[in-house]
Amino acid sequence: MKKLLLLALSGALVYGEVVGVIPANKRTFDQSQYIPDISVVLDASYVNRNKTNDELQHLELPGVAHALLGSHEHDGANHATYNADQGFNLNYAELVFSSNVDPFLTMDAILHFSKNGVEVEEAYFTSTALGHGLRARAGKLLSNFGYLNAQHHHYWDFGDMPLVYEAFLGSHGINELGAQIQWTAPTPIYMMAGFEVLQGENEQMFGNATIGDIEDPIAKGKDAPSLFVGYAKTSFDLGDTTFFGGLSYAQGSSRIDHSDDEESPHAFTGDSKLYGADLVILHAFDSYSSLKWQSEWLSREMKGTQYSDATLSTSSAMKKQQSGLYTQLIYTHDQNWKFGARYEAICHNDVKVNGVNTNKPRDFRKYSAMIEYHTSEFARFRLQYNRNDSLYNEDGFKQTIDTIMLQANISIGAHGAHSF
Amino acid sequence: MKKLLTLLTLLPLTLLAHLNIAVSYPYIGALTKSIGGEHINTVVLAKGNWDPHFVIPRPSLITKVRNADALIMNGGQLEIGWLPPLINRAGNPRTSPRASSFLNLSHHIELINKPVDVDRKDGDIHPDGNPHFHLNPNNILLLAGVIKKFLISLDHEHQEVYEKNYASFLSSWSEKIKGWEQKMAAKKGMKVIQFHDNLAYFNQAYGLQNIGTIEPLPGIPPSSKHTFKIIELIKEQKPCCILHDVYHSTKTAEYISSKTGIKIVLMPHDINSLESIDDLGSLFDHLTEAVQ
Repeated sequence: MKKLLLLALSGALVYGEVVGVIPANKRTFDQSQYIPDISVVLDASYVNRNKTNDELQHLELPGVAHALLGSHEHDGANHATYNADQGFNLNYAELVFSSNVDPFLTMDAILHFSKNGVEVEEAYFTSTALGHGLRARAGKLLSNFGYLNAQHHHYWDFGDMPLVYEAFLGSHGINELGAQIQWTAPTPIYMMAGFEVLQGENEQMFGNATIGDIEDPIAKGKDAPSLFVGYAKTSFDLGDTTFFGGLSYAQGSSRIDHSDDEESPHAFTGDSKLYGADLVILHAFDSYSSLKWQSEWLSREMKGTQYSDATLSTSSAMKKQQSGLYTQLIYTHDQNWKFGARYEAICHNDVKVNGVNTNKPRDFRKYSAMIEYHTSEFARFRLQYNRNDSLYNEDGFKQTIDTIMLQANISIGAHGAHSF
Repeated sequence: MKKLLTLLTLLPLTLLAHLNIAVSYPYIGALTKSIGGEHINTVVLAKGNWDPHFVIPRPSLITKVRNADALIMNGGQLEIGWLPPLINRAGNPRTSPRASSFLNLSHHIELINKPVDVDRKDGDIHPDGNPHFHLNPNNILLLAGVIKKFLISLDHEHQEVYEKNYASFLSSWSEKIKGWEQKMAAKKGMKVIQFHDNLAYFNQAYGLQNIGTIEPLPGIPPSSKHTFKIIELIKEQKPCCILHDVYHSTKTAEYISSKTGIKIVLMPHDINSLESIDDLGSLFDHLTEAVQ
C-alpha cells in the first residue's frame, strides 16, 4: 500500500514537471518567435474650412478633375479624400505587417481601416536574393513613379496630396496591382532604373473596363494589364548636401466611366501618357537639423473620345494636355520642430474637342504652410493652413477655400525605417 | 597584342584582390583596415561627427552597399533607423544579414544595461542593451579578433597577412591599454553626468560612475523639469563634470553649468568626431586626456 502511494506520488511529481516547467521557447510547436513586425499608424485630423461639405463636393477644376475635395458617392461606394469633412476626421488606422518570408523573399502588408471599410493599401512580396543590384516586387503596390507617389501618407510633410497628383491620379496616386523590377547600376554614383507592369485601374486617369452595356457597349474594354511605368533616378552628394532627381513616364489605356453621375454624365475612352520630373535637394546642418527642397512637375496627355449628354450618345474627339507642379521647402529645426511651405499650380490646361480649343481656365493655384511638433519619433502633430485658389463652382466662378487643419499622426509597434 | 590580352585577363583579378568592405561607422573602418591592410578597401557609411543613431539614408549610400563585397555593422539596433532601407534597396546578396559576408559585431560582445522591460514610455531604448560598446578599449581587442576571423573566412588566401596584422595590432593596442589604465587609475569612482549614456562602456572600463543624463529618457530631448532635477542632483552629489557628446547641442549643458559651475567636457565617440581624432588610438588618447 505504501509502495503504491509512493508510486502514485512520484508519478504525480513527474507529471507536474512536464506540465509546468518547460519554458515557452522550448515548446515543440511554439511559433511566437516568428511574429512579423507589426505596427499601427493612426492618422486623424480636425478640419475647419470656409466652405461646407456640401458646397465642396460640387467644386471642380474645369477640364482636369471634378469632386476633388470632400467625399462623394460613386458606384455605391463612398470615396473620401484625406481630411474630407469639417470637424474631426479619422483618415485611417494603418496596420502594417512585414517580415522575411524565407531566405529569398520579404513580405509587407499595409491595411487601411477607415469609415470606408478596409482597404488594402499595399500587399506585396519583394526579392532579396537576385543580386546584380536587381530587386523585384509584385502584388498591390505604390508605383515608384516620381518622388512622392511611393511614400505612404504618414511620411508626407503635408497632410494632403499635392494638387497636381490628386487632380491627375486621385488621392492614392498610382496604387495598383502589378509587378515591378528595379536595377541599381554598379556605378560610383547612384543610378536606378525601374519598370512596372500594372493592372491600370486608376479612376482619374487610367482604366480598362468596358463602358456601358456589355452586349452593346459604348466603349469596349481593354485587356489588363494596361498601364506601364518606367523611371530613372540618380543621386549624388556635395558635402552635406544631397541631390536626388528622377524622370518618370507612364502610359496606359483610359476608360473613365461617369455615366451614372446625376449631374452631366460623361465617359472617356482613349490612351494616356503621364510624364514626371522630380528634384529633391537636402542640406543637413547636423544630425537633427536640415533644409529640404522638394519639387515635382507632372504633365499628361489624354487622347480619345468623350461621350456626353444623358444617354452618352454624343461622341467627340478629345485631346487634353495638362501640366502642373508643386514645390515645397521644409526646415527641420531639431528633433521637435519642423516648418514648411508649399506652392502648387496647374498652369497648362489645353482641352481640345474635335480640334477646337475649349479655352478652359489655367490659373489653378494652391498655397500651404505648416508647423509640426514631434513629441518623439513616433508621434507628430501638425498645424497646416491651405489657401486653395483652384476650384470653380458650377456657374464657372472661382472659389477660394481656406482650410485650417490640425493633424495627429501616431505610430506604435515595430515600424521599419523609411528610405530617402 | 598578346601582352594586352594578358593585361586584360589580369585586370579583373587585381580588382578581385581588393575586398570592398562597407562598414557602418568610422571606428569599424579603421579597425578593419588595420587587420586587412592593403588587401581590403573600406567604405564608411556614417560620418563620425554626427549622431550614430540618426544617419540620413542618402541614395549615395545605397550605391556603396550595392557595390560592396561584405558589410560590417555595429548592431545592437544602433543602425536600425537607417541601414535596413539601404540594404533593402541595394539588392546585394553579399550584404544581406543572412550572408556569410555580413558581420554584426554586437553578436560578439556582452552588452550591458539590457533593459528588463521594453516599453516606449521609457524613451527610445535599445532592447538588446547599450550598443556603444566600442568605447571600452578592451572591447576593441575582442572586435579585432572577430574581424580577423571574418576577413580570413572571406579571403583564405591572405590568412597569414591577416594573422600577422592582427598580432601586431594586438601587441600595440595592449601597450596602449596599459598606458590608458595608468592614466585613468586615479579616476576610479569619479561621478559624471552625460547627455545620453553613450560612454557606458568607457565608464565601465575605468570605473567612472554615471549618475544622470541631461536627456530625461533615451532619445527624448531635454525638458526644463528634468534639467532642474539634474541641477539639484549636481549640487547634491558633486560630480566632476558633464561628459558631453559632440553632436547634441551643449545649450542645456551650458545652462546647467552656469547654475552649478560644473565643467563641460566634450567627449568624442568616434574617429572624425573632432578634427584632431584621426585614428582609434587618438580617440582613446583624447578621451582619457579629457577627463583628467
